[in-house]
Amino acid sequence: MGAAYGEGAAMIDRAKAEEFLFREALLLDRRDWDAWLALYAEDAVFWIPAWRDEVSPTEDPDRELSLIYYRGRRNLEERVWRIRSGLSVASAVLPRSVHSVTNVLVERADDSVAQVSASFAVHLNDVRASREHVFFGRYEYVLHKSDGRLLIASKKILLLNDTIPAVLDFYLV
Amino acid sequence: MNGEALSALIDDRPDDGVFRVHRAIFDDPAVFDLELRHIFESGWVFLGLTSQAPAPHDYFTTVIGRVPILVMRDGEGTLCAFVNSCPHRGAQIAQRQCGNARLHVCAYHSWSFDSAGKNRAVKWEAEGAYADAFRAQSHDLARLPAFGEYRGFLFGSLTGGVIPLAEHLGEAAKLLDLVADEGEDGVELVPGGVTFTYEGNWKLQLENCSDAYHFTSVHPSYVRLLDRRQSEAASQATRSVWESNRNWSEDSKGVQGGSYSFANGHVLNWGVMGVSDTMPLYESAETIAARVGEARRDWMFNMRNLTIFPNMQIGESASSQLRVIRPISSRKTEMRTWCLAPKGESANARRLRIRQYEDFFNPSGLATPDDTVAYENCQRGFAGRVEPWLQGYCRGMMASRAGGNAHSEMIGMTPARSVLADSQLCDETLFHSYYREWARRMAKALP
Repeated sequence: MGAAYGEGAAMIDRAKAEEFLFREALLLDRRDWDAWLALYAEDAVFWIPAWRDEVSPTEDPDRELSLIYYRGRRNLEERVWRIRSGLSVASAVLPRSVHSVTNVLVERADDSVAQVSASFAVHLNDVRASREHVFFGRYEYVLHKSDGRLLIASKKILLLNDTIPAVLDFYLV
Repeated sequence: MNGEALSALIDDRPDDGVFRVHRAIFDDPAVFDLELRHIFESGWVFLGLTSQAPAPHDYFTTVIGRVPILVMRDGEGTLCAFVNSCPHRGAQIAQRQCGNARLHVCAYHSWSFDSAGKNRAVKWEAEGAYADAFRAQSHDLARLPAFGEYRGFLFGSLTGGVIPLAEHLGEAAKLLDLVADEGEDGVELVPGGVTFTYEGNWKLQLENCSDAYHFTSVHPSYVRLLDRRQSEAASQATRSVWESNRNWSEDSKGVQGGSYSFANGHVLNWGVMGVSDTMPLYESAETIAARVGEARRDWMFNMRNLTIFPNMQIGESASSQLRVIRPISSRKTEMRTWCLAPKGESANARRLRIRQYEDFFNPSGLATPDDTVAYENCQRGFAGRVEPWLQGYCRGMMASRAGGNAHSEMIGMTPARSVLADSQLCDETLFHSYYREWARRMAKALP
């Protein structure tokens, strides 16, 4: 839709939203962690809810469990540090990945904030375990415009196949 | 199994200082089939918490071994457990993980059952030209031959003739008391369950929970991140019980914890933590002491990894985790996990509990994935038979004592064996308890 919901014209159209989301996907697949982190606002929320039951994901991160719930980019920086530290066997041989991002829609937008949804399928080849897997689900982004740059204020990853084969991390969804 | 003998799988010779486990018990599908029958589908296994079905007609479903189970609270409020399978053609009756239903109607031929498992209708029974023999039969759901509750923890057995639940839990029940007493009204599951799998044998999880030896080897990235958070005094960072306590670290001195082994395969490894504000329980430290005494309160603040053999584990450290081990095959295991919490804790404590839990315990956290990947490395290595016996059951052999010690006496608990340890001893003899119980159960199948 891209309908404006605040003052001013929509800061982003679908083409621009797609380019931004596709860029993030590529940075993850290329393991360009610094450029990936730079897409996030300093106080960004990064959230992967858990599921209460077959139909309902958890909604209140302070009262219900999430797979990951972070407020602040520094938490993502920790994850990147962990990969680079060589101190985590789970992060030592990263699976090869392709983040396929589809169905991108600008749900709401004004001149400074946009809400964008998309679907994802992340194809993984975990070479060490001889295991291929596809994590899939939906993204809900809140994007901000800051000094002319788009930043992620919030990214919610609704993981639909939530039985985790051994490891789930930010670069796998 | 080619007539494999138990003695060829577990080499238990305490007088010679020898305890060895054969790699085959981790990757032989024939051993696995026997384990399912003689350990999971026969004898007490953990099913869930009473709080998963709090009101009349509430139910939840689970699995014992390969068998789907339905736990229901009837109209009177009594919990009961059944095989979740229609007596007619065997279809699974309840499809959901949990819910509320006065009547369960089989989706296949509409036989219906009330919340006490009693058959309420056989569709078109009068028109069915049934023989008297059919009418003489019970059409109720098959009730579990043994089902019991201890302090809100539910257990069942697919075979009868088992020892009473209290006897099965034995002295380890006092460790469940410590969990149940964290809340005045008991404990509950935080909404949101997390399930993960690994390509490895179920006993890898059994062992790792009780294994103090791996912590500094497997979790250095987590430990270093805690140091970073402290040095940055980062307001966006999650606090952790491990940040304020170094009982696990290589330079700590003196008694820092140890292990207890119990009859029937239950074990605990534990470490002194102290009453610390990094723990969500801290706000209740005084009221808990007033309610259950200081000794029990102090024990609640200790790091505790408890296994109730064969399928239940409670990890108490960075908050509280309930784990249920579900063996899928000799090389695949499913772990169902929940954050345990005292009912009625404050919003702040609950938030701290949840954040610490996610940080440490989740398969998407900073610790568990490193464990799980280590299990998968083990499983691949188990294929080796050039030297078939594993050497991982020997630490602490000369430190293990019959009975308890001053720390178990604090809570009036008398374990079968105990080890008092500094941070480097890292007892492995507590695993003997697992494998002695394993051998006892498997003795029915193997000579």
